[in-house]
Amino acid sequence: MERAEGASSGGGEGARYVLKPAPLNNEDIIFCVDVDAESLVEMKTTGADGKPVTRLDAIKQAILLFVNAKLAINPDHRFAFATLSKSVSWLRKEFSSNVESAISALRVLVATSPPSGQADITNLFRLAAHEAKKSHAQDRILRVILIYCRSSVKPQFQSPVNQKLFTMDVMYLHDKPGPDNCPQEVYDALVETLEHVSEHEGYIYENGKGLARVLFRHMSVLLAHPQQRCSQEYMDAVIPKPLTKKAPITESGNGKGRSPVSSQ
Amino acid sequence: MSSDFPPYISTQLHYLLNHFPDKLKIENVWSGSKHYSVTLDRFTLVIPYCLDTIKWDIIYNLEFPLAAPDVIFGPDDEDFHRFLMMPGEGDRDSRSRAEFAMSDWNNKDPTRLLALIKELRDQYAAYQRWRAGEIDDDRLKFEISTIMTREGIEMQIISGADKTEEVKFGVPLMHMNINKLVSACPWRHPQKIYLQVIYPVARKYASAPSAPRLKLMSPPELKALFSIDDVKLPSWLDGMCMAEYLPNLEESLGKQVFEAVTLIDFRRSFIEALAPLFGRPLEADPVFCRKATFLATSGPFAFLVYFLLSTQFPKQQPVLMLQSTQHFQSQGVPIKSALLSDYPWSPRWEVSQMAERIFEFLVDEALNFKRYCNESQLQH
Repeated sequence: MERAEGASSGGGEGARYVLKPAPLNNEDIIFCVDVDAESLVEMKTTGADGKPVTRLDAIKQAILLFVNAKLAINPDHRFAFATLSKSVSWLRKEFSSNVESAISALRVLVATSPPSGQADITNLFRLAAHEAKKSHAQDRILRVILIYCRSSVKPQFQSPVNQKLFTMDVMYLHDKPGPDNCPQEVYDALVETLEHVSEHEGYIYENGKGLARVLFRHMSVLLAHPQQRCSQEYMDAVIPKPLTKKAPITESGNGKGRSPVSSQ
Repeated sequence: MSSDFPPYISTQLHYLLNHFPDKLKIENVWSGSKHYSVTLDRFTLVIPYCLDTIKWDIIYNLEFPLAAPDVIFGPDDEDFHRFLMMPGEGDRDSRSRAEFAMSDWNNKDPTRLLALIKELRDQYAAYQRWRAGEIDDDRLKFEISTIMTREGIEMQIISGADKTEEVKFGVPLMHMNINKLVSACPWRHPQKIYLQVIYPVARKYASAPSAPRLKLMSPPELKALFSIDDVKLPSWLDGMCMAEYLPNLEESLGKQVFEAVTLIDFRRSFIEALAPLFGRPLEADPVFCRKATFLATSGPFAFLVYFLLSTQFPKQQPVLMLQSTQHFQSQGVPIKSALLSDYPWSPRWEVSQMAERIFEFLVDEALNFKRYCNESQLQH
């Protein structure tokens, strides 16, 4: 059986996990949140008090989950925040490893209205490339996590000078497909963007059923450190593992369009 | 910060901080000028010396940019000035030590500040050696003479309790390059272990000289590999001297460091043994193998599992922690379990068995944790 390359990107399919000695850089992570009117669509899950929860509410919670967990893994990772309406602008541009800083940034994250119409992410790549150079100078790597909410509007960008300076992940929340929207096309456009731009393996998850706990689970997979990632397909096949007695080898995928296999 | 210094100062300061052999810190920055009070020209430099730090104020003057900065030493070192005014040893042109250090000043040369600080620090070490040599204590004189050939020793006169004088020695141990032993070592500076030895200065007609106080010291980064708190120092026998004490200590320490290095790969194999049961880790420490984090489920409940491995693993079992992805406290903090370290364990098991036993434990513990999370949420 071949030995897999557990610690390098893109390797490790189908063979034993290996943790090779290799440098692991601290991350600078930019959350870019789509604050278009569609972020106010309600999730299927209601809050603990029975009140409705919008996509934006669930996204904020998911980001806090991510930040808390990431800092528990390593307190030296840092976060900054940007928003996307018609285009991308900074919400909080100073990177911080302080949870309170994330909490206060999210507090001022509000949806725009009316609907933006377009979603130009050219500036996202520009500012990410700029920040990536600064991060590299400090021995860090840069990651962008784009959280997108529109079911009919594809993101556009002027083709950047592509240097693959940062990793990109996408979380896509959308309505059920119907005659008046095209979430599959939007999804495909997001996949293409990610592959065009991302330095290490980028991950993308879509959430069309409006379940908050599924959003949280996917955000947790995005915790995976880019320098230790394998392909998304393989990742979705091996995690999360169910903790049940006499663990069987189950396949529970929820990634690119594959329907989940069984009885869970 | 440095963007507020004029370029000629910030260039020299950056060069100093990036190239000085030890880690320097800046504590205070301020301006001496009434007119240009926004532009900075002064700072306090914190310099490692003899296992502690000394603080010097570096005083440039915006109104005289070509002049070398003044250096103001600590309040306990008034004599250092006098020492610097003395002629240097072996100096043919009989300049004072201070003049020698300040010569060749050029504010356009980025390296001059580093050269100045390095020279002054060397002079400071010579000054402390000179002061120690002046002390009238036979044992001390003997100790100094026998260890002076050891590379890298620094000494410092300090005041102990009751304002008595004490002499502190910072003795680097083991000339092994610890950094080289660690694959993919992330340490920028060589990690060294030191022995701090503090001798009280003997008072005349005092009874038998007391043993010196001994303490092992190391930079905090080394903790990822090896904890000096776990080392039991050999006892200092009556009438011993450092030349006798040090070799035993070094041999014992060398063995412990080598063992700590082999334990890295044992932790590595344990983390790898977790993967078949817990899935691929989201992140695992690839250099020291002290941590690994996994995502798991118990029914529809998804949660994170953190494994923390101490440098004493496998003697000390891993500490586990669970964190919900679905239950949150106030301020959006996802609910965590307590640190779990009380579960069946034997350091003699194979790593695959360790992994299986932990898995079995967590199958049950996950259910407890889920219940705890649900109850905590209801209480909101």
